[in-house]
Amino acid sequence: MLYREAGQFKATYAEDQQIFPIRQDRIAITALLLVAFLVIPFVASDYWLKAILIPFLIFSLAALGLNILTGYAGQLSLGTAGFMAVGAFAAYNFELRVEWMPILVSWALGGLAAALVGIVFGLPSLRIKGFYLAVATLAAQFFIVWALTKFPWFSNYSSSGVITTGKTEIFGYVFDSPREKYLLVLAIVVLMALAAKNMVRSETGRAWMAVRDMDVAAEVVGIRMMHTKLLAFAVSSFYCGVAGALYAYAYIGTVEPEGFNLDLSFRILFMIIIGGVGSILGSFLGAGFIILFPIFLNSYADPIAHALGIDLPPGMTSNLELMIFGALIIFFLAVEPHGLARLWQIGKEKLRLWPFPH
Amino acid sequence: MSAQRRIGEPILVVEDVSLSFGGVRALANVSFDVREHEIRAIIGPNGAGKSSMLNVINGVYHPQTGTVTYRGVKRHRVHPHEAARQGIARTFQNIALFKGMTVLDNIMTGRNLKTRTSFLEQAIWIGRARREELEQRRKVEEVIDFLEIQHVRKTPVGRLPYGLQKRVELARALAAEPDLLLLDEPMAGMNIEEKQDMCRFVLSVNEEYGTTIVLIEHDMGVVMDLSDRVVVLDYGKLLADGTPDAVRANQAVIDAYLGVKH
Amino acid sequence: MQFFLEVLIGGLLSGVMYSLVALGFVLIFKASGVFNFAQGALVFLAALTTVGLMERGAPGWIAGLIAAILLGMAVLAVRKGRGAALGGRDWRKAGMFAAIAVGTILLIHKPLPFWGAVAVTLVFMVGVGVATERVVLRPLVNQPPISLFMATIGLTFFLEGLAQAMWGANVRGLDIGIPDEPIQWVMDRWGVLVSSFDLAGAGIAAVLVASLAVFFNKTRIGRALRAVADDHQAALAVGIPLKQIWAIVWAAAGFVALVAGLLWGARNGVQFALTFVALKALPVLILGGFESIAGAIVGGLIIGASEKLAEVYIGPMVGGGIESWFAYVVALLFLLVRPEGLFGEKHIDRV
Repeated sequence: MLYREAGQFKATYAEDQQIFPIRQDRIAITALLLVAFLVIPFVASDYWLKAILIPFLIFSLAALGLNILTGYAGQLSLGTAGFMAVGAFAAYNFELRVEWMPILVSWALGGLAAALVGIVFGLPSLRIKGFYLAVATLAAQFFIVWALTKFPWFSNYSSSGVITTGKTEIFGYVFDSPREKYLLVLAIVVLMALAAKNMVRSETGRAWMAVRDMDVAAEVVGIRMMHTKLLAFAVSSFYCGVAGALYAYAYIGTVEPEGFNLDLSFRILFMIIIGGVGSILGSFLGAGFIILFPIFLNSYADPIAHALGIDLPPGMTSNLELMIFGALIIFFLAVEPHGLARLWQIGKEKLRLWPFPH
Repeated sequence: MSAQRRIGEPILVVEDVSLSFGGVRALANVSFDVREHEIRAIIGPNGAGKSSMLNVINGVYHPQTGTVTYRGVKRHRVHPHEAARQGIARTFQNIALFKGMTVLDNIMTGRNLKTRTSFLEQAIWIGRARREELEQRRKVEEVIDFLEIQHVRKTPVGRLPYGLQKRVELARALAAEPDLLLLDEPMAGMNIEEKQDMCRFVLSVNEEYGTTIVLIEHDMGVVMDLSDRVVVLDYGKLLADGTPDAVRANQAVIDAYLGVKH
Repeated sequence: MQFFLEVLIGGLLSGVMYSLVALGFVLIFKASGVFNFAQGALVFLAALTTVGLMERGAPGWIAGLIAAILLGMAVLAVRKGRGAALGGRDWRKAGMFAAIAVGTILLIHKPLPFWGAVAVTLVFMVGVGVATERVVLRPLVNQPPISLFMATIGLTFFLEGLAQAMWGANVRGLDIGIPDEPIQWVMDRWGVLVSSFDLAGAGIAAVLVASLAVFFNKTRIGRALRAVADDHQAALAVGIPLKQIWAIVWAAAGFVALVAGLLWGARNGVQFALTFVALKALPVLILGGFESIAGAIVGGLIIGASEKLAEVYIGPMVGGGIESWFAYVVALLFLLVRPEGLFGEKHIDRV
């Protein structure tokens, strides 16, 4: 099938303002969703669902959250994992302390708690910019993990702050198997991605991007700096918070505050750099890459080295992983600052003109 | 041409404004007014404080002394977004577009003050938010038609040539439907055709929408043709104020521009 | 009171160590406007390389790799020289590369004495610094500062991986010959406990700072460097070799990292946690201003002292461990009051 928009005429602004103005895109995304909802749950093994697809979706959501803040609103954050931790522990406590609380509501409240914390740590962004702000979010990262470890109330007085999540039950139905959890996470992530796309293509998103691109000009056209920046912090942290809650409930099951460390924040930052800063699609591509690459490396680095007659010392693959991630970050920043998403877009543009590029 | 236009009462009065950065005096006790519906030019040599004056009017800079009265409301400190809310829009000397966005999105930001829906409604997109977005789009398309930039609608602004970028910036300001439009060298660096186009746009804005315009420009021909009254600044001080003809005949202005024989 | 003094002095002395790391940041920031997050990884790499060289010499594969790269560069230097009028110079460059390459090969599996290891590490760190400038930062010229910052986060990961790939991830001790025990006569006279190691560390840091200050203010390179810091374009226009200056700065940052790595490594053991020192240096920089050497020193002292005092006096009230974030909160509060830092320059946004 040719990827071509010729012959698709837009007669109204409504048609022109759709999410996917090109028909082939609409068909492709529909097919992708159908496969994700109807095919994958029945063909993927439990290992794939549990160890790859569920974390992929959850990290995509976290990356999406960071992308809203960093990619769209231009505020660099190094505290993503901290906000995830708030979401996870808040959801846990709502679930634990309020008997009748439905699980979806406590996840949402976890997100809201993260949003509140995000607003507090976003306040410095009104005075400071760039890497100064990075330091402020770093403070959030350290402070949150410290607070969750030091105040045993958060983890219901368990030893060393570990929490174990209960079962996921919605309207009496227990989501227990990897397949059920996958479907639940998928539904949440798809809905939230759609909402994010809607935000970034309307007034909210334009205000964020305006602040990112030139804050003085943004103020001059009437955009309120404080409102816009804090909204970005709130929405972004909400996404990260929900991702954190899902991380605890649908993926790991047992989490401790240290699990949400700076390293995790960096990994999520890498997802958006590699996937594409300022792109919803990029959040998914980047998460996919950062999840899959270490798995790929772990399964193939040793055999390849063996084939070449080298014995890799133990632990070498994780060092290689660090080096390759580092090198890729630098490569992408220098060569393609808009990441995989931009490469995808270039590919599509080429395809639109193929086979007659002139 | 200005005979039949209904120039009204002063809507903007600048009184005794002084502004300095560190030890540098950018403006010293400047006073003038702008009447409703008129085109008011500010001229002067480089570094005379023209851009600083615009920045004071829409709140980017806060003057140390003096007041700006807009529509009868005297203000000492105003924030740029409040100024925008009161109907003041502007363009910049060095283009201040949002580089990462398309032409359409840039102009749409000009409509942000007309948006009533919350971010939650926008996230869900159905109903009011969608209707509102389409309504904004319709208005923006009017501006796009008016400024004749239909063909670059979906282009990222960074890829446009300089002259078109200036036009997009004007479009963004017009999208806000301002009462007072501040233009900082809208024709700088343009070739003759582009200048003629821009002059035409400025005049049409003024005539069709009745927008009051304050304009900084170096091209004297343009200034003399367009403006109703001219303010001349030199070294931050008010040198002259009056009709183009009066200003042109003013000895102090001639001295400032041509130099004085010593 | 005596206890208070002890805590204060301990804090101030560890603050000196923070200053040392912060200094590396300031050097690079001044010259190229890059906030080098990888400074901590450089410290780690330097300390680990020294210890590794002392223990078992260079590992074969990495030495081979480095030698191969150097020989390649030597060949390139000669070939480039053929067409150029200044060909003679390139022969010298080629010779230098070749000599280092041969030296690298000779080091394989030969444990070195302490000073030998330090010398070799210094050459290595300068090489890493220059390579970083060439490979990471030059392709990113004209990108927004935030991209450069993120690139140095990538560099951090790369260097951490590299360090551990070369030398393994075990914690190692490092003895640089300065005892870590209370100084007796201070004890006798004032009854205050001061470690001789901390004092020596402070002394070394002071010497380093003084020599850098002289370097910056008195030498030709120093002057060029300040010009570059002020305005890249203008510096380039008056004929200052921008790239060379940047390479020198990165080399200097590598040197500072080595000194910091040795002191910190000797104090706390050479281990991955050394990279966190860099995170401690961030609040120091915010406090002192990114562009001021004096600021790095004073900021380091303030952070070191306030952090220790807070841990001792406020810590017990909230369950301890507040060292991990206290410095950040101090820095943040400070940012809100004076965003440009104690010694930083205030920039006026022009529209």
